Amino acid sequence: MGSVETECFLKLQVRSHLRTLSCSQERMELLHALRSLAGLLEDAEFTRTYYARALQVLVAKDWSKRLLHDHDKELERLWREMFLRGPAEPVLMTLLDAISSARCEVDRSSADSAQYREALIGQISALPSITSNQLRANTPEDLLPHRFYTLLAESILETLERTCQALRAGHDCSLSFISQLLGKVCIQGNGGIFGTMAPRLSSLTRVDPLMQRVTQNLLEKVPERCMESVITGLVLSLKGPTAVSRLMGDLVLNNKKAQFVLTHKMLLQQYQHPSLLLKSVLGYLSLDSERRVLLKQVLRSVCQVWCNSSAVKHTCVEQQLYVTRALLLTVALLQNSEVQELRQELVQCMLGGVQCRLDSNIERIRRMGMVVGECLSQKLDTPGSQLQFQYESNEEIQELRSLMEYQAVEGEEPESDASNNLQPIVEASEVCAVPSQSITSLPVNDSDSELDSDDDLTPFDMSADQEKRISAPPRYVRDCLEGLMSEDAERFELSLQVAASLLRKNVTTTQEVSVQFCRVLLHLEDRYNTTLFLSLRQNAMVALTVTHVKPVVDYWTTEFFSLNYSLRQRLDILEVLALSAQELSEPIRSKQAAAQPIPEVVPPEQFDDITHWRHIVEKRIQSKTRRIGKGVTQPVKAAPNRFAPVAGCFFFPLLKNYDRPQTTFDLLGSDHLVLGRLLHTLGLLMHLAVNAPVASQMGRALLDFIWAVRFHTDQMVRRGVLFAVCSVFLGMHSENLLTDLGEDLMEARAWLADVAESDCDSDCRSLAMQSLVLLDRTLKAQLKIPEMKT
Amino acid sequence: MSRPPPDPLYILRGSGAPVNTLHFYCGGDGPPLLYSGSGKGAVHVWNLNTRRAEQVLESHNSNSVIWLDTFDGSRSSLISQGRDMRLCLWDLSEGRSAVTDSLLTGAVGFCQCSLLESQPGSSLLAHPTQDMEEVSVVEMKSWTQVCSLRPDTKLGMLMSMKMWQADSGPVLCAGYEDGSIVLWDVSQRHPLSFLKPLPEPVMCLDVHVCSQKGISGSSEKILQSWTVDGQRTLQMHHSVQMTNPGVSQMRIRADGKILATAGWDNNIRVFGWKKLKPLAVLQHHTDAVNSVAFSDHQDPTQRLLAAGSKDQRISVWSIYSES
Repeated sequence: MGSVETECFLKLQVRSHLRTLSCSQERMELLHALRSLAGLLEDAEFTRTYYARALQVLVAKDWSKRLLHDHDKELERLWREMFLRGPAEPVLMTLLDAISSARCEVDRSSADSAQYREALIGQISALPSITSNQLRANTPEDLLPHRFYTLLAESILETLERTCQALRAGHDCSLSFISQLLGKVCIQGNGGIFGTMAPRLSSLTRVDPLMQRVTQNLLEKVPERCMESVITGLVLSLKGPTAVSRLMGDLVLNNKKAQFVLTHKMLLQQYQHPSLLLKSVLGYLSLDSERRVLLKQVLRSVCQVWCNSSAVKHTCVEQQLYVTRALLLTVALLQNSEVQELRQELVQCMLGGVQCRLDSNIERIRRMGMVVGECLSQKLDTPGSQLQFQYESNEEIQELRSLMEYQAVEGEEPESDASNNLQPIVEASEVCAVPSQSITSLPVNDSDSELDSDDDLTPFDMSADQEKRISAPPRYVRDCLEGLMSEDAERFELSLQVAASLLRKNVTTTQEVSVQFCRVLLHLEDRYNTTLFLSLRQNAMVALTVTHVKPVVDYWTTEFFSLNYSLRQRLDILEVLALSAQELSEPIRSKQAAAQPIPEVVPPEQFDDITHWRHIVEKRIQSKTRRIGKGVTQPVKAAPNRFAPVAGCFFFPLLKNYDRPQTTFDLLGSDHLVLGRLLHTLGLLMHLAVNAPVASQMGRALLDFIWAVRFHTDQMVRRGVLFAVCSVFLGMHSENLLTDLGEDLMEARAWLADVAESDCDSDCRSLAMQSLVLLDRTLKAQLKIPEMKT
Repeated sequence: MSRPPPDPLYILRGSGAPVNTLHFYCGGDGPPLLYSGSGKGAVHVWNLNTRRAEQVLESHNSNSVIWLDTFDGSRSSLISQGRDMRLCLWDLSEGRSAVTDSLLTGAVGFCQCSLLESQPGSSLLAHPTQDMEEVSVVEMKSWTQVCSLRPDTKLGMLMSMKMWQADSGPVLCAGYEDGSIVLWDVSQRHPLSFLKPLPEPVMCLDVHVCSQKGISGSSEKILQSWTVDGQRTLQMHHSVQMTNPGVSQMRIRADGKILATAGWDNNIRVFGWKKLKPLAVLQHHTDAVNSVAFSDHQDPTQRLLAAGSKDQRISVWSIYSES
């Protein structure tokens, strides 16, 4: 009964004080009310029930006015006391409510309810946003996100340390609030909070097993929906799997969500993480025998993804690289017994995955396949059947290979400690101290070793010292042709080296033997390991094409679709056609013009008497005038495009036979590599024929051709298609584009938009984007003209 | 970037035939001279001040001259070896050009003779003989044979040789067809040491007496140097690789600093003598270089290098002559 009475009394008392505080203007009354309320702060009943209400009254508008204008020291002191001495949560909530002036619909009376906690956590984690919404540019530095979350991290750390102390002292502690807060902060995208926490936790858990328990408990209590962001943030900030293992313990075994994130989502669905994260995650899985079961499971699923041929075709290269990394790391972490256990899976993965990668047109993917093939077969250690590929090594390859040497235990990086830092320096100086011993295969008298050097004589430049050749290069085209067919290695080499320049110099002879020469060059093989063989041969082929355009181009285009050529030869033909077209379309440079053996045909107008006379006088003046201070700048002369009249010869024959598969060459089937190159070449030819009269016909034909192959499964082909589309839009005159293509354009536009959005290859997407932009620009330009006229 | 190789100081043209052998004489009074022997039997005496041929000696019945040397420390006493199997002694004093004496050696090979003036007035001459493997050492004035050196084992034809005065008496180093080098004690007439540095015939060799080191070259890319140690045995030393194979002659400069080789690849190569460090490749000739020679100028800054080539020219170079 007594308690009820006191409760009633308290209620009355508080109510009257609050009324005074909210309504009264008298200073003495206010002071009195505040003092007595402050006196009640020790009262548990008051703080539990009435405190929040009292605070709300105190943050009301007239109070802030009063404090700002009156400068009443005593009043201000008491007012502050009310906030600072009471329990923290209601103060924070009230103040934040006041700031955001959006009241939470929370039942204040039940301060321990889940809803209330939720709101509180929300407010804490969003404090920087709330304050800066109000204060805008005037936000204090401590409340800016970066600084605030660092502070928050420090407080959390302090709390955890205190928890440890409390546990040691035998108290019971619950970490669920901290866990929820951490989850909330992370899910809001502030995973950077671990940048401060992770290193500290890592070093604390190293020495303190209790701290390990505490952090593991902390992570276990994180709400399920926040688990992913917490784990990602944590693993990203930790260095090395042992640290991850100390902090997480067996979280991956106990928590389904964590297991999903760690063994599936991070490895197979995401691909933006650095390989350090992969090392941490997989190393973490490998460090404990129970977790190794999961590692095997991971290997199975990674293998499945890696050898999936549709994944090779439909995922982007970056993701494939990421999965490859994961695969190699997992394999590296397996023990020999486990490898034997999983042998079947690994062999299947290797065979399937490597095969579908080698089929790919993209070099990076092929290389990935080769590296993995080599690494896996090495790990499987089948004697005599280890795979070996030839490829040029690059940084990516080396990185992938280095993953195979990864060991989880040595993955730990040393703490950035002063004593640790000293270690390598000492070692380095020791290495330097070891005298470098010069290797001398022959006995040399040591006594005169100081005198025994030629260092006082500085050598001259000896770069001109080349291997001497015995035979002379051929001087005639026919000799050169014979040389190319000869069995004499040196003669062959010399002939190939001079072929291009000979062909260009002797135009008439070249025209006599051009097709024969083409045949020889096309079938030429690098029998003698000639340096720069490919480029020399290509140069000669281009020289032939540009000196005798029609017959040679006819020859190339017929041979392209004929029987019994290797892919390489067909690709060579395409390359040569593209290069020749490019050379023809460029204006002849003055130097070449001077060297041109064909005498210039004088246009008939120049025989006109007057011009002739003028011409001669002008020439005479030119030759007698010495111009000082004027360089050899010559006015740019217009020259006819040599490619325009023959563009059709290059272009149309290539479109003729594509759908007639031969026994050895199936353009629309397995030879999609050639198809991709063909599309590229067609696009190039289209581009080079810009402004030529035949361009619009070419464009139309090309778009028709493209239509048949635009949904090809191979990325290279799709890239070629999009490149060709771009070149059509660029090369065709915009008027023709509309009138000739009309309907097709709209359809193409829809298709392009679709590709730009959903293609798996980033190059395809960007190319589609490009062509969309081009198309829109031309369309806009075309559609505007009539408007302007009216 | 290292400096570009130097150009020749000057070119001596007009020998009218491939230049086979060169010999400098820069001592005494009078202009420095360069003797050259051509493939058509002419010996040119070039005045290096005027850079003109002072005298042309027709000799050896228009057979190729393969070796020239002066003796008696005089510019006018010349000895020449020709492919007509003869050695000729010339008196060139006061504008004369007379053959004072000659010796029929009977040697048909290309091996050059070697002259050793042990004391003034008495000289030893080592020359190849009719017997392809044999070296005959004769007293120059009287042509009396001092000894005849023949290896016991079959080493093939004698290819090149060099005789010098050691502490214990004259020694001769001879290179043979199978690539072996034999060091002979001339007075004892027995071989001191044997070495086979290279499998190919020894095309040329030279020995630097002060440093007790020699070098041999062949038709291959490798030059191999060797030392003559205290027990007068030959030891392998450094070797160096060239870009193109084949050396016709090589000479070590008297101060033992550099070595020059006459290459079949038209180039003259210069190496440091101590470690055989490649120093320069001198490109001028358009045909194989047959002979190189260093001048014996008293003043080291005037020292010259001359090279005679199959392209009928003699190039004269000044290289590493400073200080």
